[in-house]
Amino acid sequence: MAENSGTDPAVERSAEENAATSGTIIMVTVKTPKDKEEIAISEDASVSQFKEEISKRFKAKQDQLVLIFAGKILKDGDTLSQHGIKDGLTVHLVIKTAQKATGASSSAGSSTSGTSQVNSGTANTASPGPAVNLGTSQGSGPSPATSQPASLFTGFGDLSSLANLGMGSANFMELQQQMQRQLMSNPEMLSQIMENPLVQNMMSNPDLMRQMIMANPQMQQLMERNPEISHMLNNPELMRQTMELARNPAMMQEMMRNQDRALSNLESIPGGYNALRRMYTDIQEPMFSAAREQFGNNPFSALGVNADSPGAQPSRTENREPLPNPWGPPDTTSAATGTTTTSSTSSTTPSVSNPLGISSSSLGNGIFNSPGMQSLMQQISENPQLMQNMLSAPYMRSMMQSLAQNPEVASQVRSSPAAGTNPAQQQLMQQMLQMFAGGSASSQTPEVRFQQQLEQLSAMGFINREANLQALIATGGDINAAIERLLGSQPS
Amino acid sequence: NDHSAGSVKVPRNFRLLEELEEGQKGVGDGTVSWGLEDDEDMTLTRWRGMIIGPPRTIYENRMYSLRVECGPKYPETPPFVRFVTKINLNGVHNSNGVVDMRAVSSLAKWQNSYSIRVVLQELRRLMMCKENMKLPQPPEGQIYSN
Repeated sequence: MAENSGTDPAVERSAEENAATSGTIIMVTVKTPKDKEEIAISEDASVSQFKEEISKRFKAKQDQLVLIFAGKILKDGDTLSQHGIKDGLTVHLVIKTAQKATGASSSAGSSTSGTSQVNSGTANTASPGPAVNLGTSQGSGPSPATSQPASLFTGFGDLSSLANLGMGSANFMELQQQMQRQLMSNPEMLSQIMENPLVQNMMSNPDLMRQMIMANPQMQQLMERNPEISHMLNNPELMRQTMELARNPAMMQEMMRNQDRALSNLESIPGGYNALRRMYTDIQEPMFSAAREQFGNNPFSALGVNADSPGAQPSRTENREPLPNPWGPPDTTSAATGTTTTSSTSSTTPSVSNPLGISSSSLGNGIFNSPGMQSLMQQISENPQLMQNMLSAPYMRSMMQSLAQNPEVASQVRSSPAAGTNPAQQQLMQQMLQMFAGGSASSQTPEVRFQQQLEQLSAMGFINREANLQALIATGGDINAAIERLLGSQPS
Repeated sequence: NDHSAGSVKVPRNFRLLEELEEGQKGVGDGTVSWGLEDDEDMTLTRWRGMIIGPPRTIYENRMYSLRVECGPKYPETPPFVRFVTKINLNGVHNSNGVVDMRAVSSLAKWQNSYSIRVVLQELRRLMMCKENMKLPQPPEGQIYSN
């Protein structure tokens, strides 16, 4: 078969080719918005034969060609004569570039799937959820094997866990959970929802968002307990920022990166580097494994996971590390129990990059003062059992300790309003402060720091200095807790 | 009888045959196409049109099929136009694709010099207007059920 070179010889050749099918060759003009070619074709030819010729002449694939004549699309199985295509007439050609408008949204869907978890941290209702997130999920946190299905969802979703504490109805909760589950498992759906102009419009209206949020009775109750939340709601700047974040996963990532950078700035604080390093290795690894376990796809994996290598080079982790939430569940000592407890609190992770959770300037400060933290405190103080659990959880200790390395945090904690709203809270704060006091001098070795406690312990009869030290480190210098630990681990 | 200044009244069939020929010869820039729905239709009433969605708009790459009905008083009276392919466009009824000619400014004041080609071209230009060019569209290929 001769190759069509697109010039006169082509006419003869195609005439020859078509000789087998018929007698008369007609000249049909094929016109695109940019181009015009005359093509010789048998008058009996089928549309697909015609397309063959066209594809050669126009250098396009046959399936990209759409032919229109007299207002009708020519189907491959039709014949030219069927449509009345005669010599000298013009057929319109559209060459499809195989671009689909929906392609954009599906790729957007996949790119947000990684961050959809994070996204949903502030999405859905774009409420200042992460704060609520912190509060509510922490509230039900210590109960192991929580059935919180990845309650990243803010506002309504997480408030459902509050229901565990006796508010709201079980049915509503279930509904919320189901919805969450669905949305969580289908990031595409989430991105579709987000892309829906209706949703976007809604979310770009801060007043509307605020109304919606406030209309939720659970939210209202929460707001009563935590005036900070209503402050936050009333701060248009904050709302807007949150909603922007929710709407724009790219921005969310950017914000997280900013946080990263801020964190790496902590390096410059004396002793800060060590603190950071410790924080990362202590917190990051269990957090990741917990997050991965619970969520299936790790929203932070894209950001550089060193989760599987304990003690990874700090320089590397600091740069690419997503912002770890010091209030998230790090667990160095007992990974096993850690995961179950972390599973409920790891949902706070996405909230980390939320402006409400952490301000880029001071890590500890933001956390302690965040409404979520407040509500956590409150819940804890109201439920003494909760407090016990929280305090005795080993991860809590090591977390405190890591934070304690950072002197900034310690001072923040002392002056934090969270310390003083409620006698039980105050007590809690005291205990925390003790631990902090125990670890506030970051440059001292544990031995030096716990000198006094070590002496006490040995005076009491705990002769294993090694074990004592370990216990003290784990409990942050709390002698009583250390004793419990020692008693628990030693047979005598 | 209405006489627009300086224009001759053209007999309907004559005009429509002319339009038929133009449609077959591809008069125009190739972005619209039109022709008889049924080649045997001696009354030249039912026509089919095709608009190729203009580039750099949300209609890009799509082909919109239309039905045009030229009544007995055509071209003195405007034809009845409706989209077959679903479209979201100001001036087109969402439920059935019927084009409200009065809502299309370029067609609201119908002249007997206007033709099916003009209708199609104006509708295409309408797609390029700011108020239309970004309207979210139904999935490609859907048609109105009636």
